Amino acid sequence: MSRRPKILMLGWEFPPYLTGGLGTACFGLVNALNKYADITLIVPHSSKEQKLENVDIVGLNFYGLGTKPDEPVSIKKGVEVVEVDAELSPYPLKTFFYKDIKALTEPGEIRALYGSNDPYGANIMEKVATYTEVVVKVTEGKDFDVIHAHDWVTYPAALKLKELTGKPLVLHLHSLETDRVGEEVAKGDWDSVYKIEKQAMDKADRVIPVSNYTKECAVIHYGIDADKFYPVHNAINPEDIARIPNDTGQKIVLFLGRVTFQKGPEFMVDTAWKLIQRYPNVVFFVAGVGDMLDALKQLTIDRGIFDKFIFGGFLSKSNVKRILAMSDVYFMPSVSEPFGLSALEAAAADVPCVISNQSGVSEVLQFSLKADFWDTDKFANYIYALLNYEGIRQDTTERTRKIINELTWDDSAQDVLEVYKGLY
Amino acid sequence: MASVVFYFQVHQPFRIKDYSFFKIGVDHQYFAIQQNTEILHRIADNCYLPTNGLIRQAIQRTKGKFKATFSFSGTVLEQFELHRPEVIESFRDLLKTGCVEFLGETFYHSLSSVFSETEFERQVLLHKKKLKELFDYEPATFRNTELIFNDRIAELAKNMGFTGMVTEGTDRMLGLHTPNHIYELESLPEFPLLLRNFTLSDDISFRFSDTNWPAYPLTPAKFSDWLHHLAPESETIGLFMDYETFGEHRQVETGIFSFLAGLPEQVLKHDKLDFATASEALARYRPFAQLECSDTISWADESRDLSAWLADNMQNDAVEKVYSLEKKVLASGNEELIKTWGRLQTSDHFYYMSAKYWFDPTHQSFNPYRSPYDAYINFMNVLSDFERLLG
Repeated sequence: MSRRPKILMLGWEFPPYLTGGLGTACFGLVNALNKYADITLIVPHSSKEQKLENVDIVGLNFYGLGTKPDEPVSIKKGVEVVEVDAELSPYPLKTFFYKDIKALTEPGEIRALYGSNDPYGANIMEKVATYTEVVVKVTEGKDFDVIHAHDWVTYPAALKLKELTGKPLVLHLHSLETDRVGEEVAKGDWDSVYKIEKQAMDKADRVIPVSNYTKECAVIHYGIDADKFYPVHNAINPEDIARIPNDTGQKIVLFLGRVTFQKGPEFMVDTAWKLIQRYPNVVFFVAGVGDMLDALKQLTIDRGIFDKFIFGGFLSKSNVKRILAMSDVYFMPSVSEPFGLSALEAAAADVPCVISNQSGVSEVLQFSLKADFWDTDKFANYIYALLNYEGIRQDTTERTRKIINELTWDDSAQDVLEVYKGLY
Repeated sequence: MASVVFYFQVHQPFRIKDYSFFKIGVDHQYFAIQQNTEILHRIADNCYLPTNGLIRQAIQRTKGKFKATFSFSGTVLEQFELHRPEVIESFRDLLKTGCVEFLGETFYHSLSSVFSETEFERQVLLHKKKLKELFDYEPATFRNTELIFNDRIAELAKNMGFTGMVTEGTDRMLGLHTPNHIYELESLPEFPLLLRNFTLSDDISFRFSDTNWPAYPLTPAKFSDWLHHLAPESETIGLFMDYETFGEHRQVETGIFSFLAGLPEQVLKHDKLDFATASEALARYRPFAQLECSDTISWADESRDLSAWLADNMQNDAVEKVYSLEKKVLASGNEELIKTWGRLQTSDHFYYMSAKYWFDPTHQSFNPYRSPYDAYINFMNVLSDFERLLG
């Protein structure tokens, strides 16, 4: 098929409101894909200022929901206007306030179907369910070739659409429940997210995981046929971040991301303790929040290195740039990381990276320093080397810079186009 | 008439053990004793002893017409002394045939010729002393580490009393000439050079067991035929390679031993071909032309320059660090420290740090590390401890 495909894309985060990698990845992809495809993108929350060529962005935060239930809804170029909320985060910690949404249809049935003991905050499921109903209504009668859905929060909507329209479904896999909470908990009776992910992957026509690593996880933990997967790596639009001299008198090792189990905070502490025994002139800067933040603080107290840690909390974009510009090493000891976009950001800022083998981004950062997530001896040895020996700093940043320069969203978009081929 | 010169390089480094930063200030033993010993035993059994036997028999069968030239690093000689003295005995036997020559080189198989001329001199003298001690032998011809060569290095070798030198026959030094003659440098007359024919040498040491190679399988008759065709236009044919080609890089199953055993007779069937040692060839033929070599060459990789050891920041950082310690080390007068410093200069350490590891399969096969970063970090950690010992 050589004509431009029409894509109905279901997203969850979109600039300027981002809580993690999902929104950055979605934006990066859409911003490159719009050269080759016409996209309608439905997200819970968008802004009036956000405009992209060839992309209809439908933000449900502007949807006329509940005021006049039978009012027909039309999709205009740009953005729909609505009342309300839906700061819907797919991540464990509630970081935003939200108001109750007025239900559009009968959400009771849908809520029951998806269970109640959810780890993401009191009414995440309500939001997912509502999103599902709204998406169906909003796309009634709309013409599109392929449904492209990002992460579990949109999968129910995607599946419903597929059922109603018969259109082919492509899932984009940025994360897995088994990464977030571990295999045992994920497969437990009360975890509905795992079931959503599995059901969706079973029914989808094709699945785009953000790495080969994620594909393997999905195949192994969800029992999905490997042939369904078409990995497409995330990319980066590098901004030049000029180095700021670090005149704190101490070297800075940066951890940037959510402080959750899958990011390996305990391995970070263990590595830090080992390094500090021989190289005390270092500080570990933790930029992020998460459900393990308090546990992390306690661990550092227990190991007697609390004074070597700075907890920066959730950083704004400009502060992220600042800390990247000052950091000496970027450290990502993830237990299981589907991709790890923040590592690309660090690499793009010429910060040498020490990362876990159990991450998608390690497939792309060929010249970064890597070890298995539990190998804190090796991590410590690598960080020590990067802080003391100039040769390896230069070689890893020079070679990584070449990779970053070639890691374009345009390439990823082309890969996605290939995935669409044969489906419409 | 063309003289075929076989020159075999015999070298093993003292490899460094796993040395993480935890060991700095605590563990002053840097070398992988067990690994180095195991490797030495293996290569002695699979390669040095059997091939020496094969060459001795060839010399006997051809009544002294077959010749061979060897060069030993000081580090491999030390390891023979420590673990397998019968290998030294075996080389003594070869020397007694009168058909074998030994070359001079830097004791520690180092890059000192590029970084420190005083250290270069010290190591060459040490090496001469070792040859005298073990073989009662004085070398006449010089080979530099990995055949690294330029105008200045040739001058250094001549100043140390050698009467000729071997090096790589690179295209850029030869221009339109072939490597199959004796040459001399414009800047250094009366110091003849014997060059390696890298195509023919690599046919034996690399392509021999490659089933995709058009000329596979290489037989003694076939190879001699090629030499015979070269003979009218040639005077010397330099076949230089690692001695470990026989039994280690090319395993016995490939037929490499039979090849070497069958080759002397096949070559000698042609009346335009004979064998010579390096010195014999250097003396027998007049220099064919004058060359200049301001850009350093070597026999390593396709580029045949210094890039195998000095292309990357890591490599340069490590080498410069080692040589920055020269003054302090020699001033210490501490024999152990000086010896350790020498062993840390062996070119292999820097070869293992090369980024070519990721792109060139050859670099992987000679490498005990899983990444150049590991090789570099290990080395720099060792140097950190060593520097502390120096005080």
